[in-house]
Amino acid sequence: MHMALSMLLNSLTLISILLIVSMGLAIIFGLMNIINLAHGEFVTIGAFTLVAVQAHGGSFWLGLVVAPVVGYVFGLVLERLLISRVAKNPLHAILVTWGLSLLIQQVLQLTFGPEPQRVTGPFSGSMSLGDFQYPAYRIFLVAFSFAAFAIVTVALRKSRFGLDLRASIQSAEMSSVMGVDPNRTNARAFALGAALASVAGVLIAPLTAVTAFMGVNYLARSFFVVLVGGAGSIGGVAAGSTIIGGLETVLTYQIPPTVAQASVLAVAIIILRFRPRGILPA
Amino acid sequence: MTQALNSSSPARIVTKVRPRGLRPVTIVSLVVMAAISAMSLFVDGYTLSSYRDVLLLALFALSLDIFWGRTGILSFGHATFFGLGAYGMAVTTIRFGIDPAWASLAGLAVGVGGAAVVAAIVGFFILYGGVRGAYFTIVTLALTIIANQIAVGWSEVTGGDSGLIGVPPFAAFGLSFDDPVYGFYLAFGFLAIFLFLSLWILGGRTGLVLAAIRDDEIKARTLGYRTQFILLATFVISAAIAGLAGAVYATGSGFVAPDLIAILLSTEVIVWVAVGGSGTLIGPVIGTIVVWQLQDRISSINYAAWPVAIGLFFILLVLVFPDGLPAYVVRLAQKLRGAMGRQS
Repeated sequence: MHMALSMLLNSLTLISILLIVSMGLAIIFGLMNIINLAHGEFVTIGAFTLVAVQAHGGSFWLGLVVAPVVGYVFGLVLERLLISRVAKNPLHAILVTWGLSLLIQQVLQLTFGPEPQRVTGPFSGSMSLGDFQYPAYRIFLVAFSFAAFAIVTVALRKSRFGLDLRASIQSAEMSSVMGVDPNRTNARAFALGAALASVAGVLIAPLTAVTAFMGVNYLARSFFVVLVGGAGSIGGVAAGSTIIGGLETVLTYQIPPTVAQASVLAVAIIILRFRPRGILPA
Repeated sequence: MTQALNSSSPARIVTKVRPRGLRPVTIVSLVVMAAISAMSLFVDGYTLSSYRDVLLLALFALSLDIFWGRTGILSFGHATFFGLGAYGMAVTTIRFGIDPAWASLAGLAVGVGGAAVVAAIVGFFILYGGVRGAYFTIVTLALTIIANQIAVGWSEVTGGDSGLIGVPPFAAFGLSFDDPVYGFYLAFGFLAIFLFLSLWILGGRTGLVLAAIRDDEIKARTLGYRTQFILLATFVISAAIAGLAGAVYATGSGFVAPDLIAILLSTEVIVWVAVGGSGTLIGPVIGTIVVWQLQDRISSINYAAWPVAIGLFFILLVLVFPDGLPAYVVRLAQKLRGAMGRQS
């Protein structure tokens, strides 16, 4: 019983982390169709923002507020300077964002040093469900992620920006005739994706070693979440995160973690063979 | 980088596939390989053995070019196959206690076979599943991440982070390639065989079929070509050559470590091919030699300088030379010639 409960809660932790990282990617890759191999570095930037905030005496909560702002501004500048020039050609986008990811890793490593950074979470205790104990921070993480996912999903459906974005993706030409500036919309959407990844970085930071290379762990997984779930659909992100995150956690109970991660990606490749457009295609 | 065929002259009816005489690329290849073969006369043992490694990396770059240059699909996971070759060789020769006379050949078979089998399985699932273009790149990227995790995590077999030491020098049929000069010519021989073989095969009908698939796969399939099978076969052959390069590389250096099966190596091989010009086959060989010299200098300044240089290179490559470096140089030369012509 306890084993099942902890397996469930551990799965939910990983699923909710993947949910937020992949939601950013679902906007950049799924909706805008830009292959962004620097997405993992947006996660890293979020985590290092928290490190910097806490080094200056700020709290976790301040970091959680500052990180999306940093991610948003960074994404906005990046989109204007580089991404908008290569968005039309997938191969160019791959090479530019990969180059960028190498640069960001080295700059962070030079600035903060190679040793893993320590951050402190907001809660140290654990919550008890009956006689079962579980870290309070992880329960907060799950609740926060699901709330954030719900807010972004509703915002993309109902807000003016969401409408502009969906319109300019369907036809940039037609929507610009209707008064939607596609350049501005694209820049804001890319920045939103980067901001979401930064939030995920803050949430992950207390659970893991913060290094300049931590983003790579989430890059392949989040792409698979989007591909397996169905590129272009936000609902697919939930389905993809559940499959990838859930399977990985359950397998970790049986086999070594590295083999578990490998088998999950292998399963994802097999799913793509039979459902090339994902489980919940747009 | 972008496929030059789109802009080439309108389709002609090709009656004779193979042009008479030697093509310019063949002549360049002959000259370059002749120059390399004379190298052992001028440099000493230590430098020669580092050039042996460079030639094997050039073979690795050639293997990527056979797939990426000809099909237009970028594989971000070629280090997986190079690494499988290297680890196949190391594990077979170190762990199994095979008779030394046959150990190298057994290791070669395991390494090349392993790379080919993994490529066939992964390629079957994704190429037959219709995964193409950028999606293919992401899946192969993930493949390298998986392979690296296994190389680090499965330490009983792979030695984990520290790798395996003690791979014996390549030996077969009573010949040992322990001596630097022999080792150099072993690498040279493999490179020459696969370079000229691929120039010959891809210069003919097979090359045209691949170009047709690259330009319009559906059209090529309508004309009766089994495009999925052809792509899969090209991928497997390319992976097998990468595995061969890795296996021989392991016998040369004597050890394997997880950085032979890492993303950075997958990235570097793309740089080598892109610098030399993808699709030219000899270009990647030249590119590897040039970039390797450069890497040697840059890395000696600072360990972190090399990834930064690659990162900047990718960004420059796309923004300044979107058709690849050679095309840029050619265009620059034409512009200069035009300017000189006007002056005189």
